[in-house]
This record gives sequence, structure tokens and C-alpha cells, in this order.
Amino acid sequence: MDGFIATGLIGISLGAQYALLALGFTLIFGILGVINFAHGGFYVLGGYLAYAAGHYLGISYPLAVLAATFGTAALGYLFELLVLERVVDDQLTTLMLTLGLYLMMSTGILVVFGPQAPDFKFPVSGVLRGGGLYMPIENLIVLGVCLAAIVFVYLLVYRSGLGRALRALAEDRQVAAAQGLRPKLLFPLAFALATGLAGLTGALVTPVLSLAPYLGDPALATSFLIVILGGLGSVGGATAAAFIVGMVEAYSAVYLGGSKGALALFVLVLIMLVVRPSGLFGRESRGA
Amino acid sequence: MSRVRLSMILSVVAGTAVAANPALADCQLKLGVVGVLSGPAAQWGIALRGAAEYVAAEANKGESIKIDGQPCRVTVVSIDSKYTAEGAAAAANNMAAQGIKFILGPIGSPELTGIKPIAVRNFMLVMSDSYAKDAIGQQWPLVFHQGPGPSGWAGPIIKFAKEKFGMKSVLLVAPNDQGGTDIASVDRVAYEKNNISATEEYYQRGTTNFAPIITRIMNAKPDAVDLASSPPGDAGIMVKQLRQAGFEGPIGRLGGPGYEEIARVAGGNEVLKDFYWYEPVFIDENVQGIAEDYKTLMHADRPENNLFFQWVSATRMVVKAIAKAGTVDDTKKVAEALRSLPVEDPNIGQGRWIGQEFFGINQELSFPFGVGFVVKGQLQPTLRVEAATGK
Amino acid sequence: MARPRLDVLPSKSNAGETVGILVIAAAFIIPALTRSPMVYSVANQILIAVTAAFSVYIMMRMNLLTFAVPTFMAVGGYTAAIAGRSFGITDLIVLTLLAFAVPALFALPLGALVLRLRGVYFVLVTFVLTQITQLVLFETPSLTGGSNGLVGMPAPTLFGITLADNQAVLSVTTALALMGVIVTATVTRIFRQHFAAIEENEVLAQSLGLVVWHYKALGFVIAAGVSGLAGFALVNMLLTAHPSSFAPLSSVNYIAYTIIGGKSSILGPLVGGCVLVWASDLLALQGEYSQGLFGFLIMVVVLLAKDGIVGAGAYWLHRLRPNRAPAMPVPASASFGPGDRT
Repeated sequence: MDGFIATGLIGISLGAQYALLALGFTLIFGILGVINFAHGGFYVLGGYLAYAAGHYLGISYPLAVLAATFGTAALGYLFELLVLERVVDDQLTTLMLTLGLYLMMSTGILVVFGPQAPDFKFPVSGVLRGGGLYMPIENLIVLGVCLAAIVFVYLLVYRSGLGRALRALAEDRQVAAAQGLRPKLLFPLAFALATGLAGLTGALVTPVLSLAPYLGDPALATSFLIVILGGLGSVGGATAAAFIVGMVEAYSAVYLGGSKGALALFVLVLIMLVVRPSGLFGRESRGA
Repeated sequence: MSRVRLSMILSVVAGTAVAANPALADCQLKLGVVGVLSGPAAQWGIALRGAAEYVAAEANKGESIKIDGQPCRVTVVSIDSKYTAEGAAAAANNMAAQGIKFILGPIGSPELTGIKPIAVRNFMLVMSDSYAKDAIGQQWPLVFHQGPGPSGWAGPIIKFAKEKFGMKSVLLVAPNDQGGTDIASVDRVAYEKNNISATEEYYQRGTTNFAPIITRIMNAKPDAVDLASSPPGDAGIMVKQLRQAGFEGPIGRLGGPGYEEIARVAGGNEVLKDFYWYEPVFIDENVQGIAEDYKTLMHADRPENNLFFQWVSATRMVVKAIAKAGTVDDTKKVAEALRSLPVEDPNIGQGRWIGQEFFGINQELSFPFGVGFVVKGQLQPTLRVEAATGK
Repeated sequence: MARPRLDVLPSKSNAGETVGILVIAAAFIIPALTRSPMVYSVANQILIAVTAAFSVYIMMRMNLLTFAVPTFMAVGGYTAAIAGRSFGITDLIVLTLLAFAVPALFALPLGALVLRLRGVYFVLVTFVLTQITQLVLFETPSLTGGSNGLVGMPAPTLFGITLADNQAVLSVTTALALMGVIVTATVTRIFRQHFAAIEENEVLAQSLGLVVWHYKALGFVIAAGVSGLAGFALVNMLLTAHPSSFAPLSSVNYIAYTIIGGKSSILGPLVGGCVLVWASDLLALQGEYSQGLFGFLIMVVVLLAKDGIVGAGAYWLHRLRPNRAPAMPVPASASFGPGDRT
């Protein structure tokens, strides 16, 4: 029984990390219609920026996390403004561009920081134990920050003027533009918000796990899985799906093993899609 | 358009072929490095390339290769094999077109699988490094192995570990591809030979959070956990998460070097607590001399991965064999010379050829190696072990 | 989002198919021209890449972006490997038919499931399929050799002749690629209008009486068969069926070949495959910089030639002929001006 609850705790902390990661991915798709292949790259970059800020500039960890968030957001802003903006309506072109960016980012990180994991630790250690259960304090803090960030994104999207404008653009770009919203100003902002979230996740999670140049691939694959399950472009769907994926991953890995567990997760998502083609919470999809 | 492109390829290739023709230039020996230089395993290839370039510089400085009395200039061409069979095959074909006959690498099992047919077709001598179960064999007489796989060293290390920690059961964890299964399954047999019951557990390559796997391991209640060939980054997280979960037993990693990185990710020796691992080279002052010499010759620090030293000794053996055979073209002659050379290295020491028992061919270089231990959070001096016999 | 489709060669649309077939057939003469293993290696890689990219091209005709190419390549490649190793089948013709038919049959039930998905959902599901493929290969060692793959299949034979040396391997690859291009050209030719109707507006096509599902399933099945041929060629070249040859992210390459070359003509995958494979081989010499340079190349081509190399080439051809200027297609950059977005 303890094992069962312990696994649930793992599932929750996985889910919170995945949710924060996938929110950015789904926002970019929902608002811009772009499948961002560089999303995993921004996750890794966030980790390395936080590491570099702490290691080379001696900034304390919480500030380093902020620096990484704004650094990745700035890069995302510039990339949207200078490269994606002109072709943002063409899904294939943007897919190729983000893919190219991803390859360049991972190469840059590999060349600058080397292939090995750097010394990047969470400043707090220690484990809370009780009744056969345990929870590392660092995981608890990361969980808290993740949840706070998710709430922040919700408030931003559903309670602020910027959020209203972004949602209007996601709903119907023509109508929104006709009513005076300016995609040219808002798109880079939306992109920056999303890449900033990926960077924040990277800066938070990589010191708890590990940091290496190639971690972008699994981060991207996880984001894919979650938005498929949750429904593309749906913020609520992505959050719920992230927790479902976290739970399924935890229970299937514990009871079936790592390799078979992963297979079970993928098959579950596939079945899910056949039963509900637009994801758990998806609306009618926007065409390719 | 495509026909133009094809003729362009042909002309470019023709160009390089002329440039590579040894008859037109002074004596030249080109060593081909086929190693993974990008992606997760990049550090293996970078260590290999560093070693090859260093030994080439060393040979040029000492003019150690002379063909018909003429000193031969040694150069290195390296191509990224991308950790795939296709990448390695393409790299080998590229080298064959440049007339390169001596290949150092590749490192990963899929790469070695991909390169072997090409090497056979083009009579290339390959000094490879892969822990695959079929890395070398009688059907590939020109393929050598730069150091033993787990079949060579797992047994001796397990004996030491059992003496120190006295475990009766072990659970082996590794990624679910060939880089994991071929090592963990050989390690398992070695544990069982020492009367330690062993089970294998595989995780999906690319897993970043191991908490669920750790819970599964804890449920199995093994005395010890062996991380086999899990990459150092993964191994580091697993050690950390095992200790957080309250695992008190010893943790091994019979898979390859990487102690520093594992300790860094896990959070230091206190977290490793009781830890043992395979160190491909026993690093003493003498071996450290290579690193200093590298600095003076190459004006840079040596690649961090310790496989670098092993590659230095293997590359030196190849260069010595070429010098002894007195040819830079006839790989069969060089292979013969290589087999007949005593296995020794000025820095690393005396070794032997092994492999007959496991692979059916005695083409595996075996040098003295090290066993690393952390006991109760204290790093112990590395144990020096004489060259494995593979028996 | 609905941009006017850029039909690059409206008056001589057969020309593209003919040229494509001729260029691939021309690879048969390479063994007579040179013995360089480099040329053979590059030619093999290009032909395999192009064949795989044709399968992306077929799906693009219906506005479906597929990542599932490695999945069907694996089915085709492993089918040939198992047929050779376990059943002693070495006849090239039989193996080719198997490598086409088994993935195609495999795609039929799968298509029934995934073709109901539209747009981006289809894209993402095909990506999940590639991940599942890897895990299934790992988890079925008795059939597929698991993580070690299958090695040591006998070389294929044709009329009793063993096709084992460099020249023969290239000829086999060429024959498979030729079959791939002929199938692709035939299918996209015959069903050109049906596919175009689906591409333009699926709902409208359906309401006008087109049984959309039939054509989508047909395209999916044929594309799977063509991928299977590429998988067989790859396995035959490496003498190994290994999971790492069918890695999930390799699908991105086949998509890149098609888009960079130009997705509106069959010459697109051909040109894209040639350029990118060649570039990737050259860039591999740059060690750890290779991936980044490849990424940079993709970005530059996409930004400079929005309809791919072939699209841009056709556009400039038209420009250079002043008498055809009035019929000139709308240049890509003008297809949505600032007016669209304000």
C-alpha cells in the first residue's frame, strides 16, 4: 500500500514538471499554429543558462532561475520576430525552421559546455520521511514552484488583458485582427512566454535530475505526448494530460518495468486518440 | 539537375582521390577516426579523436614510422559516425575512397555492426571499441578490439566487490537498447559465476526521471544495484534517487568509465556511499604523463573522458605494427605484425592479447586496469588489477 | 492559412515524373563509371533517402504530414531480413514484393485508425508510432533480434546470381528506388485530381461525393509500401536490420528532404535527398559542428526558397522566359502580403 501511494506521489511530481513543460508547447500551437520542434532545446538551454549564471556570475540559484527564464524568453522573442514572423502562417516552413533552430541550439550547447553533465546542484537537499513514504525536499520545492507557475499562466491567459488578446487570436485570427489586435506585436510575446516557460522548467528540473546537451529530445517527445492526449492548444487539457501521463508513467514503470511501461504509455495514448480523435479536452482541431 | 550533381560528386571524389594518392605525395599515413562526435555519446568520440591526434603528433615528432628509410607523415581524418550503423558505414566508405586503410573506432555497438561489412570489403584494419557480444570474431580477421568488454573485467571486479561488501543478490539496470542489453547480460553471468543471484531491469533510453524505476528496484529488495552501461548522467541520477529512496546497499557500475561525472550528478562521494566501478586504465603518475605530454604537444587539455588513455595505448600499438610491417597499404601484413607484437605501452604497462574464450579470436588488447571504490563516502585509492585474461 | 497552391509546372506536369524516373534509372550506369566506394556509398544513401522521401511526398499530396516513415521502413526491412534468415528466401523479386506488400498490408488496419485524425493530430500520432516501433522491436527479441537486431542474412539473388559486391548492392538499391519512383509517379498521376481535391478541402470533396476515405487509405497503404522498399534497401546495404536504423527522429530527415526539395513536384524529394544527404556526408567531417551546420542549412534554404529548391528553380525558369511571364505563378513571398495580417 505504501508503495502504491509512493508511486502516486512520484506521478504527481512528474505531472507538475510535464505540465509546465507542455504548457509552452501547447500555447505556441494554440496561438501561432506553430509546432515548435525547438521546445526541448529551450528546456535544455534554460538549464544551462541557470547553471552558467550561477557558475560564472556567482548569482544565487533563485535569481539564476529567473535569469534563465528571461534569457530563453528573450531568445524566443527574437526568433519569432526575426525569423518566424514572416512565414508564421505556413506550418511546414515553421516546422523546418524550428527544427533547424533546435539542431543549432543543441550543437551550440555541446560546443560551449561540452558533452558531460556539469556540476549543477539544487541548493537544498535532504529528504522528508514518514510512514514508509519519502519526499526529497528539492522535489517538494520544485513541485511548489511548478504549481505556482501553472497558476500564474492560468491567470495570465484567462484573467489578463494580454491573455484575452492572445485567446482571441487563437480563436479566430481574422476577426481578432479586424477588431484591432496586432498579431505582429502579440506573436513574439506569446512565443517568448512559451519558450520562457520551457526555460523555467529546465532551470528548475535539471538540477534535481541532470543537465546534458542532449536532453531536448525526450523533453520534446514528452511534450508531444501530452498535447496529443490533452488536445492541441488547450491549456486545461495539457495540464490534465500532463498529470495523467505522469501517473501512468509512474505506475506502469513501477509495475511493468521501464521499457514495457513506456510501451504501455504510448499504446494508451494511441487508443485514447482513436476513441477521442481531438484529445481529451480538444476542440475541433485547426487544420494542418 | 541531378545529373549535374552526380558529376559534381564524381569530380569532387576524383579530386580527393588524387590528393590522397600516396604515390604523388611524400610518404603519408592517414589514420581514420570513425567515432560519434555528436549527440549523447559525443564524449566517447571526442576522447578517441584526441588520442589519435596526439599519437599522430607523437609519431611525427619522433619520426617513428619509416617506410624504405623515408619518414612517414601521420595525419588523422575524423568523421562523425552519429552512433548509427548508417553513419559508421558512410564514414568508412568515405575513408575507403580517400585510401585510408586504418580505422580507429567506432565505439557503439550499432556503429561497429554497420562498419564491419565495409571494412571487410575494403580490407581495412579496424581497432574498435564496443562492448557488443559479437564485437570481434573469426569471420573478421582484420577487426581488433582496443580493450576487453565486460567478459574480460567483470569477473575480477565482482570478486573484489564481493570481498568488500558481501552482497548475495544484485539487480542490474541498463537502457533497453544494444548499448545496455549486451553489457548487462554479460555482467549478470559474471555475477552468477560468483554465486551472486542477479536480475536484469531495463529502462527506456531517454528517460530523465528515474523515480518510478527506483521504486521498482526498491520493491525487489536487492542487496546491491549495478548500473552496468547506463550513461554517466543517467547513472548519477539513479544513484541520487536510490539514496533518497533509502537504499543503503552498495551500487556498482560495471560498464565503462565516468566516475567523476556520476559523482558530480549524484552529489558527491557521500551520496555514492558504497560504490564500485570499472576504470579502463589504472591512472598513476606514469599514465598522467600522457596528459602532460598532450598539453605540450597539442597546446590544449586532454579530453576529459578516461577512455582517452586506452585509445592512446591502442593507437600506439597500431602505429607500432605499421612501423614493424613496414607498409602503409598492406593491412594483412600489419595485422600479422600487430598480433605478434608484445602488448606493452611505455605509460600504461604490460598487457596481453585475449579474446579466444569469449569471441573465438585472440584480438583483444588487455592492459592493466583499475577498480574504483568509494567506501562509506570516502574515495579509496584505485586498485590496480593486472591485465584481464578473459578466462 | 489557405495559400494558393503553387503548381510549378502546370503545362508539362508529366515532365517531372519522367525526369524523376530517368534520373533514378541513370544510377544503373554508376557501376560502369567508377569503382570509388565513396560514390557508391553516397549514391546508396541518396537513393534510399529519396525512396523514403517519396512516401512523405505521397502523403503530402493529401495535405498529410507523416512521421511514420521509419515505422514502415522497419516493417519492410525486417520482413526481408526475416525472410532471408529464417526462411532462406533470397530471390530478389520475392523479397522486393514482400518488402512492399507486408508494410502495405500492415498499413491497412493502422490507416483505418489513424486516418480519421485530421491535421496536426495525424502528424503527432505518426510521431508516436515511430516511438512505439522502437519499443516493439526491443520487446520482441525472438522475432526481431531485440536490441541487437538481425545480422547475417544471405545476400539476395537474381536468376541464380548472388548480389553481394559493391556494384550489385548499388544496383539492388537502384532497382528498389526505381520501383519506388514508378509507383509514386503512377499513383500520384492517376489519382491526381482526387488527391488535389482532398488537399484543397476535404469536407468539400466529401460533400461533392468523393469517398475521401478510400483515397486516403490507398495513399497511406502505397506510401507504406514505398517506405518498405527503402527499408529493404537500407537493410540490404548494411547487411543488418538494426533498431538504430529506424530511429524516431530519422523521420525528420525524410520530411526535410521533401520540404527542402519542394513538396509540389516529385522532383522535390529527389533534389532534396541529393542535396541534404550529400551535405550531411560533407558536414560529418566537421565533427561536433555537423548537426548545427545541417540545421543552419535547413533554415537558410527554407527562408530563401519557400517552395523548396525545385519550386524556386521552376519560378526562376519561368522568369527567364519573358513570353511566359503572364502565366507566371504567384511568387511565394507575395502570396500573403502585409494585408493578410493587419
